[in-house]
Amino acid sequence: MAGTLDIPNLDQARAVIVHPAPDHVAALMRQLNAIGLSVTHAWPDLPASAITADFIFYDTDMGHDAQFPWAPGTAPMPMIALVGTEAPGRIEWAARMGADALLLKPVGSSGAFSALLMARHSFELRRTLTSEIKQLRHRMSARQTVVQAVALLSAQGKSQDAAYDQLRQLAMAWRITVEEAATRIVENATDKGNLRDSN
Amino acid sequence: MKKTVDLGVLYSQSGTYDAISRAVLRGTMAGIDAVNTSTDAQISFRPVLRDPEGRIDRYAPLCADILANSDARHVIGCVTSSARKEVIPILDRTNAMLWYNLPFEGFETSNRVIYSHACANQHLLPLLSWCFRNFGTTPYLVGSNYIWGWETCRVARMRTDEASGRVLGERYLPLGDEDIATLIAEIETLRPAFILNSLVGASSYAFLRAYAELGRRDPHFTADICPVVSCNLTEAELPQLGADAEGLVSVGPHFCPSPSPRGRDSSFEIISRQSVLTLAAMITAQGDQPFENFIASHGARFGIDPATHHSTLSVKVAQVRGGVFEVLHHWPDIAPDPYLTRPSRHPDVGHPKLSVVS
Repeated sequence: MAGTLDIPNLDQARAVIVHPAPDHVAALMRQLNAIGLSVTHAWPDLPASAITADFIFYDTDMGHDAQFPWAPGTAPMPMIALVGTEAPGRIEWAARMGADALLLKPVGSSGAFSALLMARHSFELRRTLTSEIKQLRHRMSARQTVVQAVALLSAQGKSQDAAYDQLRQLAMAWRITVEEAATRIVENATDKGNLRDSN
Repeated sequence: MKKTVDLGVLYSQSGTYDAISRAVLRGTMAGIDAVNTSTDAQISFRPVLRDPEGRIDRYAPLCADILANSDARHVIGCVTSSARKEVIPILDRTNAMLWYNLPFEGFETSNRVIYSHACANQHLLPLLSWCFRNFGTTPYLVGSNYIWGWETCRVARMRTDEASGRVLGERYLPLGDEDIATLIAEIETLRPAFILNSLVGASSYAFLRAYAELGRRDPHFTADICPVVSCNLTEAELPQLGADAEGLVSVGPHFCPSPSPRGRDSSFEIISRQSVLTLAAMITAQGDQPFENFIASHGARFGIDPATHHSTLSVKVAQVRGGVFEVLHHWPDIAPDPYLTRPSRHPDVGHPKLSVVS
């Protein structure tokens, strides 16, 4: 919902804290327990089971790419950077890993809840945008095919507008996108040299 | 020979919320008396009292003063969330503990605070659920202009949306403001299903007086059709309200079954007294370890959840009838969920844990 930040159900949600000294993040663990999460600690490498975690907190002072079983910036869950030194190189690395929120060290008795909410929000937004971009790219790359399909249909004596209209109606009838319908028409025409066979 | 332990007490004895403040102060002093006169207790408390006079800027300096000029490591104090948030940095610096004895909006679990009274899943959520069931899902929200009012109304708005209802209006008054004519006029026009009142002190009394007056003019605005409900009304404020309190609905862990003429024995008072007794027992058992470590390992033994520093409480919805709170609904043993992230801890009407008190 626009403008509102719903409180998620975090009961038994799983967080993994990737940090060299678990004692230093005891306060963070306490906060996460208070919020309702179950927390595990990992260092230096993330265990395979981390892939199903709901949140990752990762140390930026000692962290490096190879700790994570996914490519930088492609984590399948919200990532929260635990920032100690504010050296630009470390912030840059935190960003490259795909930080959805930051939490400054030393962690006291607050901050985790807002970091969780913010990270989840940013992550969802990023995921929605990525998926939209992927769709748009696909449609752009299919433009050539749509042009070909319209050309094939209008070769039967229709105007281009009428041909495009027919393409849309075919897509609706077949319950697929215009781009997919265009691909089907072009493939049929190429394979069989006869548009009518596709019906 | 009992060991004497300094205990900070930081409650205002004047100001707009002094009825509430006096209740928690009474409870605290009763608790100190109980410990000091008990033959079983191994310690006695020497209260170190400071009075911030209801002024928000006085809390942090006076808390620092208690901790610097006495041996107190624990402070019983603060009525508003704003005041509590003012003193937490002092507690962090000095490793001291605050015992906070009033209901609050939640979203905070400081390692340096014990939250003895209810958080939102133990007051607001069950109250709203009860109101939605009995009066409908079109509330009007009114609160004092600080974090308690804001956050209470925000959660109420969220819950109303989830219940497919609609918030008809939402207004905030500055602390102490008694200019409520616009508010009453708006309520009269909008005709909500119920009114959630999160006003504090003088604003609340002025509003409730005016609303009772409105009810005498228009029978829609009476407790049977459109009640005023609140998460923090207790016996402590009934003397201020007199007959205008009739029909008000509140929620809390405890209500007095018989009349309490001078506003005695509210949950504010009882919980404050209990906090002092709990603290005495904990100090006795603590030994040499730091208090926060002791809570982490043994808090549960004393009724304090080590993860949140909150307590499991009874939740009762009650209505003032004949000057006494009559309990209409009761959920026993609701575990705290200060961040509202655990729906299994959110009691509602029709929840399996439900028990009806007739």
